[in-house]
Amino acid sequence: MGNSNSATESILLVDDNPTNLQVLFQTLEGVGCKLLIAKNGKGALAIAGKARPDLILLDIMMPDIDGYEVCRQLKSDRATADTPVIFLSALGETEDKVKGLQLGAVDYITKPFQPNEVIARVNTHLTIHRLKREVESQKDQLEHELEVVSEVQRKLLPKKLPDIFGFKLAAHYETSRYAGGDYYDIIALPENAWGFLIADAEGHSAPAAVLMAMTCALFRAYPDSPDDPAAVLHYLNEHLCKVAEPSFMTALYAVYDADRQTMRIARAGQPLPMIYRASEKKAFELDSPGVYPLGIEPYEIEIPVAEVKLMSGDRFLVYTDGLSERFNAAGESYGEERLLKPLATDNVTAPQDVIAVIMADVEQFAGDHPADDDQALLLGIVD
Amino acid sequence: MEITQHEENGIVSIAIKGRLDADSSPEAEKVVKEALEGQTTSVLFNLSGLEYLSSAGLRVLLSAAKEMRRREGKIVLCCLNEFVKEIFEVSGFQSLIPIADSVDSGMEVISQ
Repeated sequence: MGNSNSATESILLVDDNPTNLQVLFQTLEGVGCKLLIAKNGKGALAIAGKARPDLILLDIMMPDIDGYEVCRQLKSDRATADTPVIFLSALGETEDKVKGLQLGAVDYITKPFQPNEVIARVNTHLTIHRLKREVESQKDQLEHELEVVSEVQRKLLPKKLPDIFGFKLAAHYETSRYAGGDYYDIIALPENAWGFLIADAEGHSAPAAVLMAMTCALFRAYPDSPDDPAAVLHYLNEHLCKVAEPSFMTALYAVYDADRQTMRIARAGQPLPMIYRASEKKAFELDSPGVYPLGIEPYEIEIPVAEVKLMSGDRFLVYTDGLSERFNAAGESYGEERLLKPLATDNVTAPQDVIAVIMADVEQFAGDHPADDDQALLLGIVD
Repeated sequence: MEITQHEENGIVSIAIKGRLDADSSPEAEKVVKEALEGQTTSVLFNLSGLEYLSSAGLRVLLSAAKEMRRREGKIVLCCLNEFVKEIFEVSGFQSLIPIADSVDSGMEVISQ
């Protein structure tokens, strides 16, 4: 049976007996790899660390340090821990073999050995090692690609928050390990109005990222001034329905009239916005009616729009469910209600500080348990 | 998450217990797909044991609903607890997939 070994692969042969080494060398000459030799344990460790062979054939009974000890040291050094080791020894009792295998060797051949058996086992282990490296390399490549996707997504977010007279803004955006689908955008509108979009593509990685990028592009290409929240969601839905399946995008679009201090909100599956009333020192969830998320099917009904008047000191918060679905080690989720307390904090007044209080509360709840979804928050405080 | 299914009188009943989230939804999706492999045009989800539903879980239910729509069939979710019902309503899905308070009223919805 042929093999795919190449001269770039190498096998280290370790034996204190020169005759054994020679026989082994001659046996493996046809295998197609470079052959390296070491006559003792110390030499083997030195060569293994420097030349990084793809396989080591290791004798056990050697004068200075024995093969078991060599194997132990190979496995404890990160540089050589993954190198497959095959013991080749006259010690043939079951306990010798078990000891060797438990030390991390991939195989154990007893001497005197059969040449074709050694060749066959060597080929098998070289193949396994090769496949293992391929898998690891592909995994690294995929992770790298996802990082690139994440980078692109970050670039799509607003570079900085606009300065709105009378309405101070702050935002928080944190991706989970994999490229996600959370997105927010802010747009200036005529007559001192501002549009705030927050959206969340269901799922992870490339599909969610693509949906997020599409939503960003669609929003910025809105053919009019996006001052009608319902119309904007209709438009986004119309275009996303063609491509989102089987995923979908929850979204919320709010238009703030800075002169009248009114917020009009259209919501498609996004968590309810939260409001803090400075006059009552209380925070509550706004009962903002909504429709199902974008990208599923056209809206036959009119999208309801909630309207709320904000007073001086009031806070308006929208966020993505990565926050409320943040779990702790006990499997409890942070939920929506818990947000109300840090939102109502009166220790600080600047929006970025309020966000810091909120995030600290979330992190304290979650403990060591990391987020498995993106978390985004957008907070505005009326002067 | 535990998911079981059975068919009786042409109605496929699928019961989901525990948490339906990003971790458990692939398995749920697989079982739902298998359950709907035949010609059935009636599916009832018994969610009385469902503790938690995330957007990934909603996606599983949505794909079942879409399949039933393709077959011009009927789907109903029943026995949602208060917590899950609220998740369902905030997400806007109640206008896509009918819900019922009990298995009996769910059966009525499907047989109409």
